[in-house]
Formats: sequence, structure tokens, C-alpha cells
Amino acid sequence: MLLFDIVFNGNDTMYAEACEAVDAAIAKFGEEKAVGFPDTAYTLACYYAETGNKITNLKEAKEALTYIKTLMTRNRRLHDGFMSGVATALSAELIEAMKYIDGAKPYEEPYLGHMTDAQIRELGVPLVTGDIPGIAVIINAAPTVEEACALVKSYQSQGNFVCLVGGIIEQLKEANYKTGFNVRVFPIGENISSVAHAVSAACRTAMIFGNITPGDKAALQEYTFNRFRAFVNAFAPLDEKTVACGAGAIYYGFPVVTNDMDYTPSVPKSLIKQPNIEDFNATSIEARDIKIKITNVDIPVAFASAFEGEIIRRGDMQVEFDGSRVDCAELVHTVEAAEIEDHKITVVGPEVDDMELGSKNNIAYVVKVAGRNMQADFEPVIERKFHNYINCIEGVYHTGQRDMQRIRISKDAFAAGFKIKHIGEVLYSQVKNEFDAVVDKCEVVIYTDPAECTRVRHEIAIPTFEKRDARLATLTDESVDVYYSCILCQAFSPSHVCVVTPERLGLCGAVSWLDAKATKELDPEGPCQIITKERVIDEELGAYEDVNEAVQKYSRGALEKVTLYSIMQDPMTSCGCFECICGIEPFSNGVVIANREYTGMTPLGMTFPEMASMTGGGVQTPGFMGHGKHFIGSKKFMKAEGGIERIVWMPKELKETVADRLNATAKELYGIDNFTDMVGDETIAEDPETLVAYLTEKGHPALGLDPMM
Amino acid sequence: MPFNQKPQKFNAKIQSVTIGTGDKTMTLGGENVLPFYTFDGEIENAPKVGVEISDMAAETFAPSIKAYYGEGASMADMAKKAAAMEGADFVALYLEGGDPNGADKPVDELIAVVKEVADAIDCPLVVEGCKNVEKDSELLNKVAEALQGRNVLVMSAKEENYKNVGASVGLAYKQIVGAESAVDINLAKQLNVVTTQLGVAPENIVMNVGTAAVGYGYEYVVSTMDRIRGAALSQNDTMLQMPIITPVASETWGTKEASASEEDMPEWGPAEDRGINMEIMTAAADLVSGSNAVILRHPQSVKTIAKMIKELV
Repeated sequence: MLLFDIVFNGNDTMYAEACEAVDAAIAKFGEEKAVGFPDTAYTLACYYAETGNKITNLKEAKEALTYIKTLMTRNRRLHDGFMSGVATALSAELIEAMKYIDGAKPYEEPYLGHMTDAQIRELGVPLVTGDIPGIAVIINAAPTVEEACALVKSYQSQGNFVCLVGGIIEQLKEANYKTGFNVRVFPIGENISSVAHAVSAACRTAMIFGNITPGDKAALQEYTFNRFRAFVNAFAPLDEKTVACGAGAIYYGFPVVTNDMDYTPSVPKSLIKQPNIEDFNATSIEARDIKIKITNVDIPVAFASAFEGEIIRRGDMQVEFDGSRVDCAELVHTVEAAEIEDHKITVVGPEVDDMELGSKNNIAYVVKVAGRNMQADFEPVIERKFHNYINCIEGVYHTGQRDMQRIRISKDAFAAGFKIKHIGEVLYSQVKNEFDAVVDKCEVVIYTDPAECTRVRHEIAIPTFEKRDARLATLTDESVDVYYSCILCQAFSPSHVCVVTPERLGLCGAVSWLDAKATKELDPEGPCQIITKERVIDEELGAYEDVNEAVQKYSRGALEKVTLYSIMQDPMTSCGCFECICGIEPFSNGVVIANREYTGMTPLGMTFPEMASMTGGGVQTPGFMGHGKHFIGSKKFMKAEGGIERIVWMPKELKETVADRLNATAKELYGIDNFTDMVGDETIAEDPETLVAYLTEKGHPALGLDPMM
Repeated sequence: MPFNQKPQKFNAKIQSVTIGTGDKTMTLGGENVLPFYTFDGEIENAPKVGVEISDMAAETFAPSIKAYYGEGASMADMAKKAAAMEGADFVALYLEGGDPNGADKPVDELIAVVKEVADAIDCPLVVEGCKNVEKDSELLNKVAEALQGRNVLVMSAKEENYKNVGASVGLAYKQIVGAESAVDINLAKQLNVVTTQLGVAPENIVMNVGTAAVGYGYEYVVSTMDRIRGAALSQNDTMLQMPIITPVASETWGTKEASASEEDMPEWGPAEDRGINMEIMTAAADLVSGSNAVILRHPQSVKTIAKMIKELV
């Protein structure tokens, strides 16, 4: 038999039962008899939400049956199937309502039946906050009592709310399993019609928390689909009425997972056949896109930021791992969801107990993540947090990154029972919590076997890092479609806006284009927003209408326009967090750069703080500009005025820091070797005359350029 | 040359939010001119003055304020006397005793206080939590539940707990949500955006954009309110058009200018005068910077600020 026919038959049966129940009630009480569930203002909630009409007496119940009949069209189309599902739920609600007439209490422990409005409100708040990640509706008896208990337990331990219908309730009772609203296991009723109480909960949540106007079918469906994270687990054998209810569930966006293999076809993300009961949980959570909150980190020592600065000295150390001596690595790896199992933590190689006291060992951990919004560009952003995560473990210390990390585990932590696998627990829980916007599933593999570590480092980690570096190197302002704004500093510099591009990172040095992109994804309403770059005004200056509109908007009108590549014309503003300031040096036609750490005098006759007073606070001062250290080697560095060949002076320490990149850029742009040798520093000159003499001697290219003003 | 007045007209206005029920309601906001710029346009709803009482008043309130309520006043007595204060538009109940780092009173005990106060008065009511984010998540949920149908303003949802507080106060029990941020226009806006995304209607949100006592970094408060009002009116930023309420008393009465005794600081004059002055100065500055309501404690301050508003609007 076709699935359509099963749904239609099930719907017909449920409807016939509803007609019978209503007629019987009318015969007994008369048409004027009041109808309704106790302690609710939304009577009858499913019908009210769907149609906008309340059913308050038996006469209206009878009229409702006429309406329900109109939904029961019989074309073999998806719409007919869904509407028949809705009709089944509405019929079931009427059947249930008849049981409550005259203040009757049709359900007795352990059955609970109708949920009150107060319970819906209590349930709704944690549902909105995600403290209740999902709602499982389990129908029929599981193959065994043990499997029934295990499944309910699995949902409960994740914080889900569980509704039960049919045989599984008896099974839990047999096992003495504690049920009730307060433990989030809610046995509704024995018959399938009682599932209407679960649908009623969904409809009332939509009306109370979603402000859905009763009768607005589209809004109701959208709300239940997107916000009421319910799903159905239905055990074999499924009768026709249950299948018809399932069609209704799918219409509202609740996927159905069943071990009844007789029904074909399965529909991805909607009707899923899963023969293994132990996989029901994972299949359901994934199908409904439920994010489980992790509230505690399961490790034997404390985990808190208070331990971040803790140092483990050699004498207090149980074992260490040292990437500078042996093969180590730490890596985030994006994979397909099907390839990994959430929260699986594997240790390949010896545990801490097997390692000698005070020994130096290998370690390589690969955190595999999957998620619909995950992008490979976020891998380094996540990876950079590992240092912080591992350091927050009491008695564990971490420095370095990539394949150069060093970890120590203290004797105290070891004595408390800390194991390698607990590093996996920490990484798992923190990545899932902090990056839940992009990471849906996460699995951790930790290698301590030396041969495996060598393999992971050389065959996986290093090629990945090289690929990333290559991507960063090829990431140019021209190669991307959008830039990002950053207004993180507006709290103290209200009119400043950073425009972050691949070749011009935020002036604080802390926000690269990739960071800004990740920030936007993780915190959509946060400080970094997309700036398009479609309407070019002047490519050379880096002037765009889009960029100007964005700075106007984000500075709330304080700034009219900025250019990305000029220090003279509408230079980008600064908050005050700049790593460096570059200022025009008129005698040499060049610019002087001072970094924050530099305390001495510059050839401009100004110290860094004096230059800072000209530059900060979101004001535009042509000739002065704040920027990050990394920007100095960029091909876009004041490109409009000729680029890096204008740099005539930098503090020695800064010069050494940026030398490699700066020299490479100078070579590429102008064919100059060892450009930094031509650039002055405080050991050469602190006044303009001596500086110009030095530049002349070295043949610095700036001297031959046009004056900047 | 004759003076030629050019009214500054905005095509945007501050959202009106009504608090309370029956004929004793008050409406905050609704204006489309800068604070007190009545020469530019009519200010429909004058700023409001609230009187703060606390479950810890006996321990924490200044002697001069305690004297007004009398020794051993019950919460109901305090509420009635606060509502009866000259110039008072509403009562603000501060559940200070809930703070886990202070008296750490259980939620049930505080809810009993809330009910006692709510039953004693029929003027608009504002309930302020204990300011501990975790405790407030639970406490404010119960407050909203206990006061169903009273249409009270519950303060505050913050960045850390806006989901809990917003969902219970704004959605489950349909009260007015106070959205509190710390003196930063962007954070204020972001909180409003995410709270409305949760489903809370903009007309059910009142902002507390952060405050300080005058002299205590107060210029940040002025600048933040100024910019928020500017963005709301001149840029028609709907996510910053919620009215602003500013709890003044809890800031000013804690400063040394208000609390140092006359014995310790004879050259400063009577402590009571100093406390009143701090409260009045701060409240006046908040109002001209853009607050639609202030929360005060001393009868003299309430009377003075109410008079100032009356004269200017």
C-alpha cells in the first residue's frame, strides 16, 4: 500500500472516532455542554491555532468536524498528505476533549494527559534559551524495556523534554523509571489520540512565545518548524493512525524516526528509518538540528579561567609534551557530518599512567568538526583558542601553537586522575560551546603514539598549515568580495570605524579579515559587519561608495568617507588601540613609523604618545594614521602615496620584527634588496637632518619621490 | 535682525511604552524632539519619576530616607508611602536582598515581598532584580509570573541572561522588559536587536543604558544617552528608539559624598543635604541627556525633580 493511502486510512479512522465521540457526548450532555481542557486560556489549542476559532461547547465541536472534513482531500499529493496529518491531529484533539467533559479526570498516574498553560510557560522559557534543547515524542513500546529506558535516559541526560505515548509508558513503569513534568519525562496517554496533547503544547508555545495570531497557519507552521525543536520516535509496528499523526508531525517540522522498516519511501530529514534503537538519539538530534548545551566539563580537576596563568615547574611536573623536541601538533579539521560521531574521544597510544615520571612525550590532537555553517577559514580561529582552553585546566599548562606546542601535566593533576582523554573532553566541550554557531558535531582524536604523532604532524598538520599560509598569502583585497567593519572600540572611541580588508588588518593588530569574517558568523549582530565593495570610486586610493556609506552608518554620521590606501586623503581613523602610528616626515618625502612599545624620540620631534594624541579618537588627521604591525609589509600600505618605499624610519626593534615581510614586498614591488637597511632607526638618527643624511648615503628611494604635500 | 525660530523636526520618534493597568498607567516616550525641546514640538509624555524601595531598606537606605518611612515599616507600608510621595509617578521595588554575595534571600521569600508590595499599591510598578545575572534569571522569571496581568516593568535583561529574562518576562508573562547595557551605544543596540529577535515586541522594551553618579565617570553616560537619542531621532534607528529609564538612587547614595557622616567630614556640611544634591544633580542630568524616567529615593529629590519636569514640559 502506498504511504498516501496509509495516511488517508489512518486519518479516516481517527476522524470517524472523533465523530463518534462528539456524537456520543452530544447524546449524553446536549449541544450546549461546555468543552475545554483544564487550566488553559487556549481552548482547544490545536484547532484554535490552526483556524483562529475557539471550541467552547459541543455544538462548536460538531461544527469543527465539518471544517476538519474539508482538510481531508484525497489526491495523492504531498499537500493532501500533510493536511490529512493536520486533520488527524485535530480529530485526536476532539477525541481527547470529549474525555475531559464535565470536569472529568480521564488520566491517572502515570498518565498525565493535558499540559496546563503554567506548564507550557515553564517549559517555554528554557526552550527559548536552549536549556531544553529539544522535545522528544516517543510513541509505542520499544523492543525491550532496557532499550526503552536507555533511550529516554539518553534524551533526558542531554536536557531534552520527553513526551511518551503508548506502550513505552508501561515499560518505564515496569522498570520503576521516574517520570513526571519536573524530571522532564511526561507520559501522556495510552492511546495514539493522546498525542494531541503534545501538538497542543507546540501550538500554545507558538501562540504564547511566538505571538502567532490564531488562524495564521503559515506563521504557525513557520514557528513550529523553526523554533519548536520537537521530533518523533515511533516504534514498530506502526498502525495507520500513528502514521497519519506522523504526517501531521512532519507538516509542523518534526521529523519522525522509526524502526518500522515496512514503510517506503523514507524521506530525508523527515521520515527516517533507523533499525538500531541505540542510534535513535543521534539520528533524531541530527535530523532536527538540535544543539546540545554542555553545562559541565567532565574532568577530575577544576576548569576555570583562574588557572589560565598557572605555571607548572619541572619539579611539580608529572609529564610533558614538547613540540620543539619531538613531533607534536594541534589541529582543527573540517569534515562531513557523516564522517564523525559527536563527543567521541579517542586516545591512540599510551595514557599518562604509561608514561615515565618527568618524561618528554609526543602528543598530537586533531579536533574534527562538522557543521552546515562551518568553513575551513574558521579552523585557525578555533585552533587559536586551544591555548586558552588547555591552560584553564587546573594543573595543566600550555604554550605555543600549531606543531610547536608544549604541555605539562602536574603531579597533582595526575594524582587527581587527570588523563590524556580529559584534554579531549575540554577541547570538545569548549569548541561546542563557544563555536556552536558553526560547529554542529565534534570528535577528538589524541595521538600519543610517537609514530602516529610523526605521521599526523608531517602528513596532515604541516601540509594543512602550509595550505593555510598559502591562502593567507594569496588573500588580497582584490580576491575577496567583501570587507568587514569593526566597531569593537566604539565604547571609548565613539566615531571610529575600522574597515578590515585581507591586506589591511584592524589597527589594533588583533582583528584580521578572517577574524572579522568569523566574528560575523559567530555573532551575527556583533561588532563586525559585511561591507560590500561593488561601487569603486578610485581603485588607487581604495575609495568605494559602499565603504563610505558603511563608515557613515557605523560612525553614526561622524565620518563621511575614508580611503583604504591613502594617508593624505581621507585616511582611515583610529580608536586609540593602534599598534603603530605612521606620520609624514617632510624633509625626506617619507613617513616615520613608531610602535607603541617605543619610548624614545622620533625624527618628527614627537614621541609615540604625542603622535597618538594627533591620531586617536576617531578623527581624520591627514598625514597621520594608526595601523597594525602586520600592515607594514602589505602591498597596500599607503599605496596611493607610493607604498612602502616611503618608509624612512622605524624603531630598531620594530624594523627587525617586520624585516622579512617588508624586504620581500620591497623586492617584489621595486626590486630593492634588503630595503630595511636603508630605513633609519633610533641608533642612526632621532632628528630629521641626520636622518636625511643617512637616507642620502643609502640612496633611499623616498628622496626621489614627489613631496607628499 | 528678528529672531527666526527654526524648529528641529525629526521624522522619527521615541517608542511609547505603557506600564501599569487600569486608569493608573504611565506612558514613557512618544516624543519626536530632543529632551525638553518643547519649543521644537510637543512632548506628549513628560518624563516620569519613580520612588525606589527595597527589601533591604532597613540596612542599606540612608537614615534620612528611612526616617520618611518610619521605624519598622512593613513592605506594604513602604510601598504606600512611596506611592504617596509628592511628585511620584511610580514605585520601583529593588530586590537587593537576593544578591548571592549579600543577604542571598531565597526566591520564594522575595516573591512574597513582590506580592505584598504589588497588593498594597495600584500605581505603575517597576521591579528591579538583585543584579546578579544568574540569580536574576530565576528571580525575574518568578517575578513576571507572580505579577501576571499587572503589566509591570521588570529590570533587567542583560547580555548574559536576555534569553531567560526576555523569554519569561516578555513572552511567557507579557510584562515590559528592561534591557540593560553598560554605557555603550552599540551594546545597547545589540541587546535590543537580539531581544526583539527572541520575539519581544519593541513596544515592550525599556532601556537602561547604564548610569553613574555625577563625578564618577558620568560624562560617558551623557555621551551615550546623547548619541542614542541622536541615532533614534536623526537616523531613525528603530533599534534605539526604546525609552530610557535610569536608576539614579542606587548609584548616588553609595558615593562617599552622600554617605560620609558629618562627624567625619564636617567641612562638607550635613550628610542628608549632600545625598539629596547628588541625587538631584544626577537625575537632572540624566533627564536632559535623554532619560524618560528616573528612579530616586529621597522625598526632597522626588519633589524637586518632579517640579523641574513640570516647569520644563
